[in-house]
Amino acid sequence: MRRLLAAVGAALLATAAAAATDPAAALAPRTEFTPPPAGSYELQRIQRVGDATLLDDRGTRRRLAALTHGKVTLLTFFYTECPDALGCPFAFGTLNLLRGRLLARPAGSPDVRFVSISLDPAHDSPAVLRGYAGPLSRDPRLEWRFLTASSVASLLPVLEDFGQDVSVETDAHGVPQRTRHHMLKLYLIDDEGTVREIYTLAFIQPEVILNDIDTLLLAARRRS
Amino acid sequence: MNTRHLLVLATLVAGALTAVAADADETCNSPYLSRLIKGQEDVVHVWTLGVEGLGDGSDKLVTVDVNPASPRYGKVIHSVSVGGRGEAHHMGFTDDRRYLWAGGLDDSKIYVFDVGKDPAHPKLVRTIADLTAKSGYVGPHTFYALPGRVVIGALSNSKDHGGVSGLAVYNNKGEFVAKYDLPTTTIGGVKGDGYGYDIAINPAKNVLLTSSFAGWNNYMRPLGEVVKDPEAMKHFGGTLVRWNLKSFQPEQILSVPGSPLELRWALAPGQNWAITATALTSKLWLVRQDAAGHWQAREVANIGDPAKIPLPVDISITADAKGLWVNTFMDGTTHYFDLSDPEHPKETYQLHTGSQVNMLSQSWDGKRLYITSSLLSRWDKGGADNQQFLKAYRWDGHALTPAFEIDFTKERLGRPHHMKFSALPGAQVAALAAGG
Repeated sequence: MRRLLAAVGAALLATAAAAATDPAAALAPRTEFTPPPAGSYELQRIQRVGDATLLDDRGTRRRLAALTHGKVTLLTFFYTECPDALGCPFAFGTLNLLRGRLLARPAGSPDVRFVSISLDPAHDSPAVLRGYAGPLSRDPRLEWRFLTASSVASLLPVLEDFGQDVSVETDAHGVPQRTRHHMLKLYLIDDEGTVREIYTLAFIQPEVILNDIDTLLLAARRRS
Repeated sequence: MNTRHLLVLATLVAGALTAVAADADETCNSPYLSRLIKGQEDVVHVWTLGVEGLGDGSDKLVTVDVNPASPRYGKVIHSVSVGGRGEAHHMGFTDDRRYLWAGGLDDSKIYVFDVGKDPAHPKLVRTIADLTAKSGYVGPHTFYALPGRVVIGALSNSKDHGGVSGLAVYNNKGEFVAKYDLPTTTIGGVKGDGYGYDIAINPAKNVLLTSSFAGWNNYMRPLGEVVKDPEAMKHFGGTLVRWNLKSFQPEQILSVPGSPLELRWALAPGQNWAITATALTSKLWLVRQDAAGHWQAREVANIGDPAKIPLPVDISITADAKGLWVNTFMDGTTHYFDLSDPEHPKETYQLHTGSQVNMLSQSWDGKRLYITSSLLSRWDKGGADNQQFLKAYRWDGHALTPAFEIDFTKERLGRPHHMKFSALPGAQVAALAAGG
């Protein structure tokens, strides 16, 4: 965790340096507005989430549908060796920030779940995920699932369903290396399994995400 | 358009508007689109209107090799016909740049091309034909990527084929998600005309801007007839709308007479202003917040001599937001404005680039500029002035130097319109595969 947070800090420093020279450099998102209050807007129903069988960090088979229903879910794809400071480590840092804010609420956030799915099942075994997650996957105060697939073949349909692009860096002889290229996306899923918002880097604005979560929680409570 | 038409247009421009169509290049993509091409683009995709009797007569996506290091530099290397003519016009990438969505202003169809697997050989993988059934809108014009979705700015509607229209949202799978009518009510003392054209988003400000052109009744009618019909000339847009991006609700209507077309945000950090060009009045307008935080739009420069109705069409802002290219259709001129002070743009260069010019696209580094000729099938000039081409230029900061030219009539392709760039996959990148 400390290593990841350091990476986030490095990303912010890199961002500041890059801004002076390259206007196209990937930048940490800016929030230069007051986010609309939770419940004052409706989030689009972007797509339904399909089902799949994945493995959690204890090697237990888990149905994805069970982890995208019943709570408001923030789902992202990542891999443990991601070297891009504005990629997976940035998302991980943001999720930790959101987790802190959600846990600080008087009633906690029992209706919110995080799901992190590895893009690199060949290397991110359940044991590797367990080490990466540390105590996060066992903290009952906020459900955070770290998942991997039993094979790339079983991961591909999940990526296709979410529209998550991934390619693999190779060496000069075409041999796959550890580095994955993918567009960082966080998916906000309502308690009925529908994607209601997708955050790419420019949209990873914590205050907005918190309001979006609350907007979905309010709607779920109204329905019940 | 002949001289008489021009004179008629000049007499009408005081109160109304003509218009155009345009939008392109690496610096006008969503700023959060993945894989912006910062170096040399390898190919340019050109969405091309079919012409009856020319080749297969069909609208088509033409791909041109534009890498000077390639033996096929400056040549058409691929073409995909869509099997009909629907007034091919604009295109836009999905957020991950794997797919290119291209629309027909007449038949309202949307064609989805896979440009990710093999950018040199795009493949038509989906046709979306339910835009009008789902939304009531006609004429899908602008395709603007949001994460996992494409926002489509339409130009018209199925009830009266006028200019009142809206925004439709589809997910990247091609499924309809939502629709939002452009406002016809009064907001902040300005009445909306309900017209649509371009879309431009600034995530840091939570702002989505839309501009306004004209409906099917005007854009599918010969321009010579439109300009002679005072009633038709009343039906052009004269507003920008500022939307709350999160809620997709209009929050402000800005009066911008003369049909504001392409909208471009300054991409450099902290420069939260946008610029547009009005087709009929030939002005640049700046959109930014005042000291009190209120969004304002005001004209900041003429484009050519507005009295001569040069008809500015596409614009292209540099990556550092310090320069702006503008094409004017009627006089076939390409202009460069110094935008160092966006409140006071100054034209510093111009070149006659064709008998008619419309779209223009610059590379991210600003060193290469591509121009196409066609505006709309029934608005293009006739006779010898109906040149149809893709021209490439090099820009050294002082002058444009021709690099190559493709005659789309001679090549029996059609009328070239919107352009988008692709880069070939890196040598050391592979798709994630089941065995990997």
